Amino acid sequence: MAKLSNLFNKKQKSKQNDNLRQKLDPSAPKELVICRDYKDNISRIKEEMGNSSDLIIRELKIGPYPGALVFIDGLVDGKGISDFLIESIMSAELPDDNPDFDLFQFLLDNTVAFGSVKTIKNWNDLYDSLLSGCTVIFLNGYNKAISCETRGGDKRAISEPTQQLSIRGPKDSFTETLRTNTALIRRRIKSPNLQVEPMKIGTVTGTDVAILYIKGIANDKIVKEVRERITRIKIDSIMDSGYLEQLIEDQTWTSFPTTFHSERPDVISSQLLEGRVAIVVDGSPFVLSVPAIFVQFFQAPDDYYSRFDLSTSIRLLRILAFLIALIGPSLYIAATTFHQEMIPTTLAIAIAAQRENVPFPAFVEALMMEIVFEILREAGLRLPRAVGQAVSIVGALVIGQAAVEASIVSPVMVIVVSITAIANFSTPVFAMAISARLLRFALMILSAFIGFFGIMIGLMILTIHLCSLRSFGVPYMMPLAPFNWDGQQDVFIRFPVWAMKKRPKFMSKDNRLRTGTNQKPEPPKGDSS
Amino acid sequence: MEKAKISAKQLFVVVVLFEMGSAILVGLASSAKQDAWIAILLGMVGGITLFLVYHRLFVFYPDLPLTSYVQKIVGKWMGRMLALLYIVYFIYIAGRVLRDFGELLTATIYTNTPLIFLITILMITISYAIQKGFEVIARVGEIFFIVVYLMAIAGFFLIIFSGLIHLENLKPMVENGWMPIIKTTLRETLNFPFGEMIVFTMLLPYLNKPEKARVMCISGMVLSGINITIASVINVATLGVDLFVRAPYPLLATVSKIQLAQFIERLDVLFMLYLMIAGFIKVAIFYYAAVIGTADLFHFKDYRKLTLPIGTIVLLAAMFMAQNYMEHIKEGLDVVPIFLHWPLQIMIPVLLLVIAYLRKKISQKQSLADVSQTADGADA
Repeated sequence: MAKLSNLFNKKQKSKQNDNLRQKLDPSAPKELVICRDYKDNISRIKEEMGNSSDLIIRELKIGPYPGALVFIDGLVDGKGISDFLIESIMSAELPDDNPDFDLFQFLLDNTVAFGSVKTIKNWNDLYDSLLSGCTVIFLNGYNKAISCETRGGDKRAISEPTQQLSIRGPKDSFTETLRTNTALIRRRIKSPNLQVEPMKIGTVTGTDVAILYIKGIANDKIVKEVRERITRIKIDSIMDSGYLEQLIEDQTWTSFPTTFHSERPDVISSQLLEGRVAIVVDGSPFVLSVPAIFVQFFQAPDDYYSRFDLSTSIRLLRILAFLIALIGPSLYIAATTFHQEMIPTTLAIAIAAQRENVPFPAFVEALMMEIVFEILREAGLRLPRAVGQAVSIVGALVIGQAAVEASIVSPVMVIVVSITAIANFSTPVFAMAISARLLRFALMILSAFIGFFGIMIGLMILTIHLCSLRSFGVPYMMPLAPFNWDGQQDVFIRFPVWAMKKRPKFMSKDNRLRTGTNQKPEPPKGDSS
Repeated sequence: MEKAKISAKQLFVVVVLFEMGSAILVGLASSAKQDAWIAILLGMVGGITLFLVYHRLFVFYPDLPLTSYVQKIVGKWMGRMLALLYIVYFIYIAGRVLRDFGELLTATIYTNTPLIFLITILMITISYAIQKGFEVIARVGEIFFIVVYLMAIAGFFLIIFSGLIHLENLKPMVENGWMPIIKTTLRETLNFPFGEMIVFTMLLPYLNKPEKARVMCISGMVLSGINITIASVINVATLGVDLFVRAPYPLLATVSKIQLAQFIERLDVLFMLYLMIAGFIKVAIFYYAAVIGTADLFHFKDYRKLTLPIGTIVLLAAMFMAQNYMEHIKEGLDVVPIFLHWPLQIMIPVLLLVIAYLRKKISQKQSLADVSQTADGADA
C-alpha cells in the first residue's frame, strides 16, 4: 500500500524520475506520458524492446535541435522514409530569431511530407503506431512525438481465388493485408455510406479488425450486435478470421457454419449490398460476413453472373449433390440390408452376386471405404505437392481396383463412395461441405441399425436442429422457415436479376428496394422487320 | 409458459399438418363405406363449430392457456382438477398417436423389430424438438409442410396417371340412408381429427396476432378437411369399397398400387416419409401441450425440466395402453370417443363457455350497478 501511495505522490514530481522508478520496480504500472528528454525516450524503447535488431533509431539534428527517428525495419516503406522524411527534415531551413518558434509545429506543418501524420502523447499510442509500421519522431524538449504513416514492407500481391472458383466473374481475391482487402471492397462499392469501423483484438497480437457495412441498408440492430460481440472478446491472439468466427458465432454445438466466409471481394460486396455486415481481419485472406443463412451456402458466385435459367438448374443440381453427399452411403446400406424389395429385381440380383464374396456386412464395408477415402483426402491435402500425384495414383489403384479384386469391397460400394465424394465437392463453401461429410457417418450408423426409418429419424433431427439455429438473431432456415415469399427469389430458383426487386427482409428493414420499375428488357417496339 | 411467438402463417401450417396427421393414414370413417367423404366433410363442419367455442374462450382469456383459464372460470380447486384431467388426456392421446405409428411401422415394414424400440427412437426425436421450444416446432412444421405438399402432389398425379382411379366405386351415394353417415360423423370424424383442435387452446396464446387466430385455424381445418376428403375419395376409387373397409391402412394399399413406366413402383418409402412427418407433428403438439400444461399448473419456471418425465410417461402409456393392435383399435373406436372425446372436446368446453359468459354478464351488471350507484350518489 505504501508503495502505491508513494507512487501517486511521485506523479506530482518531475517526469524524469519515471524511468528510475521503473527500473527499481518493474511491476509498477508504466508511466504513460512521453518524456521531454528524447534520450530518455530512446533508451526506454531500447530497453523495453530488448535491443531488437529490427528496431532502427536514427538520431539527427534539425538545425541546432537534436531529435531522433524511430521505426521498425521491414514494416515500413524504407524508400519513403529516406526520401520524404530524413531528406526533408535535414534540408529544412529554420526561420531565424523568432522568439515564438515552435519546432514541433514547424515540423508538422512544413517538413514531414507524408499524408497521414499524428501527434502522440502517451506510450500506448506510441507502441501502437510504431509496431504497425509508422515512424515516430522524438524532439528534444517536447513531451509528445510525431507519428508518420509510413506503412510498407512486403505483402502478397492480389492473386486469383484458390478456394471458391468460378467460371465467370472477377478473378481477384483477398490478401493478408487488411487495407488491401477493404480497398478491394470499396473499389466495388463507391458509396460514402460504406462504413469501415476499425477495432483491435488480441492483447498480445493487437490484430487490426474492421467491421464493414453499408449505412442505410444494413440493419442497425445486427451491426450493434456484431460490434458488441467483437468488443466483448478478450483473447491474447487472433491468427485468422477463423478464430474470430468461433468467438462470435451463436452456437458452438453445431456442425453447420453460422457465419459465412469468402475470399472473393465480389461475394462479400454483394453480401454487404444485401444488408449484411462484413468483418475483415488483418492477416487473413478470408473475410467473414454475418448473418449467415443455410441457403446462402449453396449460392455460388456464378449463379449471378450467368442467366437465371442456367443458374437455377445448376443450383438445383448442387442441392441434389449435397443430399447425395449426405445420405448416399446410408441409402445404400439401408437398401441392401433392410429394404431389398425397394431395388429393382435385376439390380438386386446383380448386387447380391457382387456381394457374395465380400465377407463384411454392408455397413462395415461402407464405413471402411468411407474412412479410407477420407484419409486419402486428408493426406492429399497435407502432402507436399511433389508427392501428391503418387498418392492419388496409389489411392485410385488400391481403393478402386485392388480392393474389389481382393474381395474386400464390392464394386457397387466403390461406385457409391466415389459418387458421394464427388458430390461432396460440388458444395460451393467448404464449411458446409465438411458438415455433410461429418454427418454422413452419423446417418450411416442410424441406417445400419434400422434402415430407412433411421435415415428419416436422422434427417428429422437435422431439420429440428437447423430450425433451432440462429445467426446473429436471424433464424438459420430463413426464408424457408419462417417462410416468406420475398425471400424465395434466391433460394431454389434464382430469379432473373430484374425480378430480384427487394433485399432480403430479415437483413434490412426499411431500405429494401433494389431495382427500379420496368427493368425487364424488351425488344424495341414497332420494329417489325 | 414459454416466451415464444409464432406467426399466423406458422399457426396455419401447424393446424394443417396436425389435422391431417394420422387421419389420412388410417381408414377414416370407413364405417360409412363409400360415403366416407361425406362423413369427413360433415365432421369438418362440426369441428369448425366446436372450434368457434374454443376460440370464444380464447377471446375471453387471450393471454392464458386452457389450464390457466379453466381455474378462473370454475374456481381454483375445480379448475385445477379439470386442468389435470386435460393434461392426462393430452398425454394419453399423445401415447395413442405414438402407438398408432408404431403399430403401422411394425405391421408394414419393420415386422421383426420390437415396437418399443421404434417408438422410443421416435420419442427421442420429438423430445429434442420439445426441448427446443414451440417456435422451433412451428418452423420445422413449415419445412415439413413444403415436403408433404410436394409429396402429396407427386403422389396424386402418379395415382391418376397410373389409371387407378375408378370413380364409379363411389356409387351408389347414400346407399343406406343418412343415418350411418351421421352416426359415423358423431362417433368418429367429429372427434378425430377435428375435435382434437381442443389442444390448440393451449397454443393460441403464442400467436403474435391474436385477431388472426380464427381465420387461420378455420382455414387450416378446411384445407386439411379437403385433403383428407381427397385422400378418402382416392382410396375408395382405387381400392373399391370392400378393400377400403378391410384394409387397416388404405392409403398404404393405394400407394403400393402405383406402377408407372415399369420404373416408378414400390413407393412405400414416400408413404413412410409422410408417416414420420405426420406422427412427429401430431405427437409433438399433444406432448408439448401436456408439458406446458403441467408447467403452468404446477408453476414450473422452466418447462424443459418436464420434457423427459412426461416423455417417459407418454412412451409407457403408448406401450401399455393395449395388449395388441386389435385391442388398441377397439378402444380407439368404441371407448375413447364416448368416454374421453365427447366429454373433453365437446361437453366441458361448451359448459366452460356458458359459465364464462354468465360470469362476464354478472360482472358487467355489477360494474354497471356500481356505476349507476356512484351516479346516484353524485345526483344526491
